[in-house]
Amino acid sequence: MSKLALTLTINGERHEILTEPHRTLLDVLRADLGLTGTKENCLEAECGVCTILLDGAAVNACILLAAQCQGRAVLTIEGLARNGDLHPLQRAFIDHGAVQCGYCIPGMILSAQAYLEEHPSPTEYDVRAALAGNLCRCTGYQKIAEAVLAVARDRSARR
Amino acid sequence: MATSEPRVVGKSLPRMDGAGKVTGTAVYAADFALPGMLVGKVFRSAEPHARIMRLDTARARALPGVRAVMTAADVPDVRYGGALKDETVFARSKVRYVGQPVAAVAATTPEAADTALAAIEVVYESLPAVLDLDAALAPGAPLIHEEWASYTAIPILHRDGNVCNRARIVVGDVERGFEEADRIFEHRFRTGMVHQGYTEPRAAVAAWDSSGQVTVWSNTQLPFEVQNTLAEILQMAPSKIRVVVPGIGGGFGGKLRVGVEHFAAFLAKATGRPVKVMTTSVEELTAAYPRQGTVVELKTGVTKDGRITAKAGRIWFDTGAFAGSGPGVASVATLVLAGPYKILNLHLEGFAVYTNKTNCGSFRAPSGPQANFAVESQMDVIADALDLDPLELRLKNIVREGDEGPTGQVLQAVGLEECLRKAAAAIGWQDRRPGRWRGKGLACGWWTTTGGSSGVYVKINPDGTVALNTGAAEIGTAALTGAAQVLAEELGVDLADINVVSADTFSTPFDFGAQGSRTAFAVGNACRAAVDDLKRRVFALAAAQLGVEPEACRLADKHVLADGKRISLADLARLSQQTGGGLIAQGTFIAPPTAYDSKRVDGHVYPAFHSPSFHAHAVDLSIDPETGDVTIHKYVVAQDVGFAMNPTYIEGQIEGGVAQGLGQALSEEIVYENGRVLNANLTDYKMPTTLDMPRVETILVQHPSLVGPYGAKGVGEPPNIEPPAAVANAVAAATGLRLTSLPITAEHIALALRDAGA
Repeated sequence: MSKLALTLTINGERHEILTEPHRTLLDVLRADLGLTGTKENCLEAECGVCTILLDGAAVNACILLAAQCQGRAVLTIEGLARNGDLHPLQRAFIDHGAVQCGYCIPGMILSAQAYLEEHPSPTEYDVRAALAGNLCRCTGYQKIAEAVLAVARDRSARR
Repeated sequence: MATSEPRVVGKSLPRMDGAGKVTGTAVYAADFALPGMLVGKVFRSAEPHARIMRLDTARARALPGVRAVMTAADVPDVRYGGALKDETVFARSKVRYVGQPVAAVAATTPEAADTALAAIEVVYESLPAVLDLDAALAPGAPLIHEEWASYTAIPILHRDGNVCNRARIVVGDVERGFEEADRIFEHRFRTGMVHQGYTEPRAAVAAWDSSGQVTVWSNTQLPFEVQNTLAEILQMAPSKIRVVVPGIGGGFGGKLRVGVEHFAAFLAKATGRPVKVMTTSVEELTAAYPRQGTVVELKTGVTKDGRITAKAGRIWFDTGAFAGSGPGVASVATLVLAGPYKILNLHLEGFAVYTNKTNCGSFRAPSGPQANFAVESQMDVIADALDLDPLELRLKNIVREGDEGPTGQVLQAVGLEECLRKAAAAIGWQDRRPGRWRGKGLACGWWTTTGGSSGVYVKINPDGTVALNTGAAEIGTAALTGAAQVLAEELGVDLADINVVSADTFSTPFDFGAQGSRTAFAVGNACRAAVDDLKRRVFALAAAQLGVEPEACRLADKHVLADGKRISLADLARLSQQTGGGLIAQGTFIAPPTAYDSKRVDGHVYPAFHSPSFHAHAVDLSIDPETGDVTIHKYVVAQDVGFAMNPTYIEGQIEGGVAQGLGQALSEEIVYENGRVLNANLTDYKMPTTLDMPRVETILVQHPSLVGPYGAKGVGEPPNIEPPAAVANAVAAATGLRLTSLPITAEHIALALRDAGA
């Protein structure tokens, strides 16, 4: 199969990639670039563990072709912490006990990040609705919702 | 044990592996990769029950990129399994369920592997399929395993044809008990098959080295059991098989047994390359180890003032085409059927039954939700019939301190009454039907803290930090954070000083594994034992340095203190490295056996609950009479945890356990039709999302166990047990309808309301 030459910007870094046109961003992230913080499970956009941010929007990388990401900004969980400091959502997930097995957490945090950027003062229902595409089987979501709300409150207080 | 106020145990400290998980740097088995690694995939049966007339892999083998294709002909002819050895790596001569492995391929890319799977040719001759419990138990039913009598099994089991175990508890005289009763209640319940729903698929990477040793990196909960199972399957010594658990994305019992590790090992051997095998959602929902569907029949006699005089019960587990965990689960079920109640006459039986479905296994509190659903639903029916408050009926019959359990064990640290009263108070029990189509339900239960042994090594590093080396795997519960809290407390160091190395069958000590609510309990106790060992070494060294007697020494604040003098653990570790090979200690623990009356049990793999926990759940919900939709306003759990080692993560266990329980109660079922799963995807297999889950209020009750560290009891499984019964009871309170089949979907409620003319 002929390959495409792609330039992908992932976590602010440019990657020159040669790949088959049918390959998903998830494949490229995990298999080619070793960025396994983006998780793999259902491959049908049902579970949300592969959520990344594409130009700031939360997207399932398992049904996104790598070729569609050319010229757009991809942010994965590896790109969220800056200069070694955890992002406030990452800190809050730990502090609120929202992390158990942790496999859904990268996707969950990125979905929350995308939502909070657009909706600074959500209710608990808003947060839950925003995260409804991210399945978690460990936590029952309560501490996840609490962590996200705490970050929203903290951001509002700083404004 | 420390005498002063605890510094580390009992505190809601953050889990030790949190940063790696939130930054994406934690490596799970699904993430694990080696250079040159091939992709392995499994070719599975498309027939529920059929003879394999022809199996041709020649075309598949010849495809580009394909490095190996294996069938039963390429692996040792071995039957393996737990209590009963009935399983084979690949189907031999016949297939017994849709999804059963028939062949496996290894290829350079996933696409090449998929192409190879499509090129495998198989011709079946259909056999009559046994699709449910009734069909399996009918006289003259086709045998799933014609040769069942020749299989190796532990001698305790009672097997007969499609029944791969019958476990029984008999206490007193149940017929006389029924004669003493004023009223007798008989009900039949049904529960569906449900999946653990871990978000990380089962995954394994295997690689062989030139010495003939194989290493398997897998997300198993039981690395030591998988090592031994692989030894059976591969026909080689366990000492040549190394199982390492990099990280686990949830298990809930579904990752106990060998899953894909053996395929990876065989394919890696055949190709001389590392091979990774990872399941798809379809494979998970058609060919994993889900919770058995059941049918339960219960007959209970009560006096008119509500005292239970006798209970007869039978529970049949649809365990699928192989026994899996069925024989043990059928045993445990009888203890759950007895309930946390004082009943002098019992006749309880659990059956594990073969059908042509996927091999069922263990799912968080195996048998708990199914048996408890029946017991606690019937309690409410009885209460209504006798015009008693369901809470009062329970309080009349529950076990209390010093009472006997069903098999004669003496119950200690029984916090059940407190759980019931607190859960009822928190839900506002005095007003059980607060409005039209709104009702509250209550359910209670008991559960075990599974035994098995644990070993740890503890090493003091020359910088004063501490390495905790354990064979247990961290499956997400934070149980190893809990065990490390015990270690930090006992050693007089901080939790941040401890690093955990875990779950490698070559380098870590044995552990019975992350199962049965036992990890923090057993590893925590092994840590205490290790500290006792360490104290002897450390105090001898310190005494010589400080010029004091070893008996005068104690540990505190990262130092040994004696007679007003002190020396740091770091200094002692450095000193020991110069003179004695460093400071290392070993600790082991096994729960003492729980005494029971062996005359009361038969065919029983699990005759008593160790350090039992007690719990009560309460729910307040509304029904939409048009759609049957359930809205949960409030959910309360009061659980006797003995001692709350880390309250935050215990709440996490309870909130998550309730989520899985509500899934089983309201929406989840693997639906079979003619032996095929209709909903093998995560849209149609409906696990609760953020919007389905209510807030859960947790009430921690603490009646310290005599065995667990600081009095802790097993915590992880229990919250999964009561939700179906609590929900069914609340639905009954809201609608007047008693629904006896799980899941209680909106559709079922709406249809029942229509049938009732409501």
